[in-house]
Amino acid sequence: MFDKVLIANRGEIALRIQRACKELGIATVAVHSTADADAMHVRLADESVCIGPPQGSESYLNIPRLLAACEITGADAVHPGYGFLSENARFAEILEEHGITFIGPTSEHIRIMGDKIAAKETAKKLGIPVVPGSDGAVTSEADARRIAKAMGYPVLIKAAAGGGGRGMKVARSEEEIGQALQTARSEARAAFGDDSVYIEKYLTKPRHIEIQVFGDGKGNAIHLGERDCSLQRRHQKVFEEAPSPALNDTQRKRMGEIVAKAMQKLKYRGAGTIEFLYEDGEFYFIEMNTRIQVEHPVTEMITGLDLVLEQIRVASGAPLSLTQSEVTFSGHAIECRINAENPRNFRPSPGKITYWHPPGGLGVRVDSGAYQGYTIPPYYDSLIGKLIVHGKTRNECMMRLRRALSEFVIDGVETTIPLFVELVRHPDIANGMYDIHWLERYLGKP
Amino acid sequence: MAKESKDRTGGEHELIRELAELLNDTGLSEIEIERAGLKIRVARHLTVAAVAPAPVALSAAAAAGAIAAARPVEAASHPGAVKSPMVGTAYRAPEPGAAPFVEVGTRVSEGQTILIIEAMKTMNHIPAPRAGTVTQVLVETGQPVEFGEPLVIIE
Repeated sequence: MFDKVLIANRGEIALRIQRACKELGIATVAVHSTADADAMHVRLADESVCIGPPQGSESYLNIPRLLAACEITGADAVHPGYGFLSENARFAEILEEHGITFIGPTSEHIRIMGDKIAAKETAKKLGIPVVPGSDGAVTSEADARRIAKAMGYPVLIKAAAGGGGRGMKVARSEEEIGQALQTARSEARAAFGDDSVYIEKYLTKPRHIEIQVFGDGKGNAIHLGERDCSLQRRHQKVFEEAPSPALNDTQRKRMGEIVAKAMQKLKYRGAGTIEFLYEDGEFYFIEMNTRIQVEHPVTEMITGLDLVLEQIRVASGAPLSLTQSEVTFSGHAIECRINAENPRNFRPSPGKITYWHPPGGLGVRVDSGAYQGYTIPPYYDSLIGKLIVHGKTRNECMMRLRRALSEFVIDGVETTIPLFVELVRHPDIANGMYDIHWLERYLGKP
Repeated sequence: MAKESKDRTGGEHELIRELAELLNDTGLSEIEIERAGLKIRVARHLTVAAVAPAPVALSAAAAAGAIAAARPVEAASHPGAVKSPMVGTAYRAPEPGAAPFVEVGTRVSEGQTILIIEAMKTMNHIPAPRAGTVTQVLVETGQPVEFGEPLVIIE
């Protein structure tokens, strides 16, 4: 087991990692930018190293500074969290070259799944159903037209180097595809430094259903059930639940087996999530994320497994804690992502939290690094905490969520709590009847 | 009767006010006095809250750490403080056994090397941002430094 883990992240996930390390008796190093000197995980960590000014490129994304911090603290492993360098194959490689363990998959798997075209090819080879589309990159407009015509409009043009909901453009007809292709390319070049694009059939009312997997890197892999993350705004997840209200046990077992087998074949190591679009009973692979995800707590609540702890254990060479037959699902869990944003127009609202009262009670969990008196810096994303509730049934879970939201007080900044208060009272949400366009349609209403 | 109690209350108010002022002036948290059948206790309400432990900022050895910890608070805000632009290990001399680049009292010109900070086997010369005299040296050879940590003071 590691002696010292360096947490290469910030915010709520850094605190999450700090907690798992402490439960394993591992010393922690919190690296932080000047803007995060007062972060809760920095205060709780055994050691802290300021690595730069607020900008990501000078701090959390800066590989030399992170390495230097490992060097002077003697950290023997790094947990990259999510975002930042968590899916940067180069970072994983460099750490390994320096004899430091990267808590995550191999750089090879990060690379394969990071290239969305290669990922789709790999998924196909591993027997995972994919969205129909271009076979690889689309290199000319003529090609794009041909493929789109054959599949039928509408189509989605996606950046090969994108992912996480970024770099996608819809073309609803032959008239739109030329422009959409051009825009998609230039945006991809600007955002990812790579303008390769591919085309997929655009599904009209799909749900976003993803399956959590875990591998030990030696050929053993299990699935831990699915999460329904259909409620999204601008491709960012807002509300997630496990299990999905849309699936039955048969579907769950079937897809779970397919992805677990695929990960066994791949000899995948660590935590991973296979994301699907689900429509009319069919699953379509869109991408695989080779890291821990924001919404991992809902899976933890229904399986009882600490996923971050498991990541650390597997990275240190231990086998998986559970075999597939030992995995059980109990009850229902929902997570609300609390952002420091205006709940109507979503304008960021950084600033000082003057009053912080999180909810409590049985089945209520708040994952947040915020506290009363904490100043939310303006330099990073607006997620300030996650409210996760668990209940024996989906109904009990929804009632508990309503109650928990009513107790949650955050003053001094605007938050999206009022949005959730509305959502949990909406019949569609209460009934679990929604797709990936639902939330934007709801918000678009006057 | 009413008059008596009014007088007494008035006298007590005066006394309490005096005691409260005394609390503030002396910085005490509690004062209690007793006289002729009257006991008054004035206390400042102290909030007792769980204190999140302060992180152990880097220090090479316990002794060096104790000294280093006391300095950075005032040193960091000193207008002449030269702060580390990077994370690494500080070296005061170009190589072991050689004379340090600067000592207290050394006059430096802008751009003159004051320290080396090593990160991953690369030696980075840290230049003086302006001309002046070194009035404090805040790090020792071999000491790990973080971004923004005050290294020397040049006045």
